Amino acid sequence: MPPPATLPPSGALPPKPRSGGLVDPRLAARVTVTRRYLVVAVVVGLAATACVVVQAVLLAAVISRVLLHGADLGSVTPLLGGLAAAFAARAGCAWAAEAAAARTSATVTSVLRRQLVRHALDLGPTWLAGERAGELSLSATRGTAALDTYFGRYLPQAVLAGLAPLGILAWVAWTDWISALVLLGVVALVPVAMIWTGRESSRHTQRQWRRLSSLSARFLELVQGLPTLRAFGREAHGRREVAAAAEGLRVTTMKTLRVAFLSALAMEFLAGIGTGLVAMVLGLRLLGGGVSLATALAVLLVSPEVFLPLRRAGAEFHASAEGRAAAQRILDVLDLPAGGTPHPGAADGWGDSPPVPDPAGVPDPARDAIRLSGITVTFPGRGEPALRGFDLDVAPGEHVALIGPSGAGKSTVIGVLMGFVRPDEGTVHVGDVDLGAVAPASWRRHVAWVPQRPHIFTGSLADNLRLGDPGATVERLEWACSLCGLSELVAGLPDGLATPVGEGGLSMSAGERARLALARAVLRDAPVVLLDEPMAHLDVGTEVELRARLAPWFEGRTVVVAAHRPELVSRVDRTVRLGSAGTGSFPPGAPYPVDAASTSVGGIGIGGGGDGDDGDDCDGDGPDPSHEGEQAAGVPR
Amino acid sequence: MSDVADLPASEVFRRLVRVGRPTLGRLALASLLGVAAAMATVGLLAGSGYVVDRAAFRPGLGAIAGILASVEVLAFLRGPLRYGERLVGHDVAFRTLGRWRVWLYDRLEPLSPAGLRAWRSGDILTRATGDVDTLGDLYLRCLLPVATTVAASVLAVVVEALILPTAGLVLGVSLVGAMVVTPLVALYHGGGATAAREAELEGELSAQVVDLVQGAPELMAFGQDGAYLGRIEAVDAELTALARRRALAAGTTSAALVVWVGVAVVGVLAAGVAALRAHHLEPVMLAVLPLAAVGAFESVPMLGTAALRTRQVVAAGRRLLAVDAVPVPVHDPDHPDTVPEGRFEVTVEQAHLRYRTDLPWVLRGLDLTLPAGSRVALVGASGSGKTSVVNVLLRFWPLDSGRATLGGSDLERLAQAQVRRSVALVDQHAVLFAGTIRQNIALGRPEADDAQIDDALRRAQLADWVRTLPDGLDTPIGEAGSRVSGGQRQRIALARALLVDAPILVLDEVTAGLDQPTAARLLADVLAASDHRTVLLVTHRHADLSGFEHVVRIEHGRAGAVA
Repeated sequence: MPPPATLPPSGALPPKPRSGGLVDPRLAARVTVTRRYLVVAVVVGLAATACVVVQAVLLAAVISRVLLHGADLGSVTPLLGGLAAAFAARAGCAWAAEAAAARTSATVTSVLRRQLVRHALDLGPTWLAGERAGELSLSATRGTAALDTYFGRYLPQAVLAGLAPLGILAWVAWTDWISALVLLGVVALVPVAMIWTGRESSRHTQRQWRRLSSLSARFLELVQGLPTLRAFGREAHGRREVAAAAEGLRVTTMKTLRVAFLSALAMEFLAGIGTGLVAMVLGLRLLGGGVSLATALAVLLVSPEVFLPLRRAGAEFHASAEGRAAAQRILDVLDLPAGGTPHPGAADGWGDSPPVPDPAGVPDPARDAIRLSGITVTFPGRGEPALRGFDLDVAPGEHVALIGPSGAGKSTVIGVLMGFVRPDEGTVHVGDVDLGAVAPASWRRHVAWVPQRPHIFTGSLADNLRLGDPGATVERLEWACSLCGLSELVAGLPDGLATPVGEGGLSMSAGERARLALARAVLRDAPVVLLDEPMAHLDVGTEVELRARLAPWFEGRTVVVAAHRPELVSRVDRTVRLGSAGTGSFPPGAPYPVDAASTSVGGIGIGGGGDGDDGDDCDGDGPDPSHEGEQAAGVPR
Repeated sequence: MSDVADLPASEVFRRLVRVGRPTLGRLALASLLGVAAAMATVGLLAGSGYVVDRAAFRPGLGAIAGILASVEVLAFLRGPLRYGERLVGHDVAFRTLGRWRVWLYDRLEPLSPAGLRAWRSGDILTRATGDVDTLGDLYLRCLLPVATTVAASVLAVVVEALILPTAGLVLGVSLVGAMVVTPLVALYHGGGATAAREAELEGELSAQVVDLVQGAPELMAFGQDGAYLGRIEAVDAELTALARRRALAAGTTSAALVVWVGVAVVGVLAAGVAALRAHHLEPVMLAVLPLAAVGAFESVPMLGTAALRTRQVVAAGRRLLAVDAVPVPVHDPDHPDTVPEGRFEVTVEQAHLRYRTDLPWVLRGLDLTLPAGSRVALVGASGSGKTSVVNVLLRFWPLDSGRATLGGSDLERLAQAQVRRSVALVDQHAVLFAGTIRQNIALGRPEADDAQIDDALRRAQLADWVRTLPDGLDTPIGEAGSRVSGGQRQRIALARALLVDAPILVLDEVTAGLDQPTAARLLADVLAASDHRTVLLVTHRHADLSGFEHVVRIEHGRAGAVA
């Protein structure tokens, strides 16, 4: 996952501009549930506007009666009471509007988040294998949270901005048409100003965006590069760069903001001018007796309210920028076509999924051979197919090793066998059953899988092990741990198997993760075992030890292991070589083909049990995943 | 660290203001513009009220012309004043952000990389940079709105009181009420048990979503995808239920504000009417009182957001100030020894090291000798203490006991800069910075000329590759080197280390992430390029060891079998 770029204070950096109007129609179509809340919010907003008009009329009436008719406090008390009631009603509207906004965002966030995670599963491991996984999880967590202002505030305000000014104008026209004309003249300038400033702003922002994000990211880059800067005595240079990047960020952002704030300026300006003009015209007409004081005051009081919804909508538009950008990203993912396989047991909690009855028959790999015929797989965006016309027969109980250089398609074969990768051509059969016609979940019940880069879930060590067998007893977990060389680790932990791992928990080394993944597979107790580069992260010593311990467990199971060399599986019946040189099989007993220059260093006492087998083809070390992807060319992404 | 965690929020706030002290002039200008804009709003409303009120008595144009003109001027000025306030305020925010970024860099610099291991969390850098960004809001969204609102309110109350003291009193009381209640209610809804449970659920949900997305292959392989989805949806349901319940309370802030405006308007109007009857008030001023009161409340709603933001800023600031409290591991001696010229031996004797007193020992009596010009490989499993040896040799972390020497001088008697001129590092992650290939290679020796850079390139076997690039040495490397392959990245880092021409070259897991043929070629080239230098290779890959005359196996922080 790439480090998230740092951003300047929230909302200060204009969002990456996108084409499209103020409301994304895709969003409106997808989240139909918001319509009800939107209607509530708009009705409440209109009611609040009506309260404002009533307030103005009552206030004007009080002043007019006292000034012109000599009324005293006692005689205007009912009016003052009415005024207080109007304020109370408006307070109620304000409360309802907020409540509707908060409920809307809560609902929408939940709906989109659920759709997003389901869709992520539907897109499948092939899609998720890339860097997009990190981006997607960010969208589903922080992204949906950013939708609050968009759905809760901006959307109702945008609708209100269209309706409330018209309502007030209608009332003003009914009361005093000359003032209405004045206001209408100024309001008519609003769209013109908005279009002009909006166009300027988006042109400007588009130009600056790339520069802004790279200046933002520069700080994190320099801080992360501090060890290197120090090693080369350039920490002072880094400090200057930090200061220069911050200054550059300021200068560039201010340039953008000068334009971006123009729309707010235009709105404030027009609102000021509108009120000022109305006051002037009313004052002049009062001098000539063309209008009553009560009318004049009431109109004067409501005229700022004509502009208020427009100004608010403009402000919320800016505030919801992050939410709109997040919504865009979420929609882009949701719009991707996906297989849409059901996820049985979604409501059952943490239990094994019930079997799905399948018309194509039930695959039984313990009895029948697995047969891949003519498999061709081409990943989108890659010219060369990862596999071309690949054939493989694996008899029950047979141990097959897939070897070959990086990118030869070893992992793709495993992916096809798992049902993660759907071949473009060719079929996978187990006996007479075509796996293409079987629900993937029901096939995977027969398979234990050890991935190249195991994921550690947030939870306890036991939770992670039980992924392989949700009902496993503690004794069984301990047995699996001892079989896979985890006992020492577990014994050293104060809470043993209950120790939290994953995010915020114990951090596990790559080797420990690999052993945990093995233990999961062991607990799965399935007739077919698929191992994808299982030893990439183990030390030679550990590997030799594990090989001896696991040998009895592998007996009687069908094993397909993808590796530079089949270190872990002691009995290999057949080795299948993949690669540009073509695919070839080697019978057991034939000299093992070495695909890379491996050298043995004598006299160090490492690689003990190996028969000159101490060349270590590890692909990477340490928990930093960014290095691991580079040679995993065979991994679909 | 704990002392910062215990500080009261006000003290944290004070320290933050002190560290990020912006140019006071700009901050004052921003608040001045803000107050002026707020006053323009009050003046516009009150002035219009006066005009209409006065005109109703038909005094002739001359009597209202002056005030009418003033109202129009205010109407024109209000927008530009707000615009100016926004711009200057944001400028202050970005200047503050810059100061904080430099501040954080200065704090992290002496801690990096080894000192940061004392932190529990692995994502300290990402979090700290995020926190720094939050601090940019300290002035823009916390101090500025409060300053502007308070100043504008005081002015409005004074004006109102000058017209009619009782009206000033009523407005003052309701403004104070609104200004106290608004932030308090906002804080109450942002805190409390429900909010804590919500934050907890959000954290849980976030971790589960990350797990689901990144662990999807495992979940599907083990048939647990549906079950996991069910768990997420259960958490989501509880979270949504809480948020909906909170929604009912969320509106109280806005409602309370409207109530206070109502109290002010009805109150000043009643006071005005009573005063008018008692001849304490000019009739033309009656409309001014409620209109000015309405205008005075304009910026009060900002206080709610300011209160919430302040709490976030203080939380971020508290975490950042904790960085300040992390002890700096290595200090330069006052009168450093000098490193001898030419080739020399490096020794580590009975080295003991741990990163925190509550963490286990990493080195437990390690002995290591690198004779001048030797090629030594240090092998061991992850966690055996290999990287700590690198930290010691580069003087990133001190020894707790034992000693390390460079040409006979104790490392503790040398300045860090001297040590790092003698020991060049090609590290595991080979950080490349945004910039050109030339800038990255010349990092340790910016004054190097083309001939020297070409020589380093040639020895790192990069010359041919660079020649194929359209811009040669001036080709930009994408952010963090994303446009070069893993092998090229390590070679650029190697060229960078060769260019420094240090007598000792330390290679820390340089073959990580490379396939075996690439790794073998890289190491062969390193050994060929290093000629007279001492080379220390740190690795866990046994295939890397050919060409190294000494192999030291490190186990549990001690040297094992030596060949």
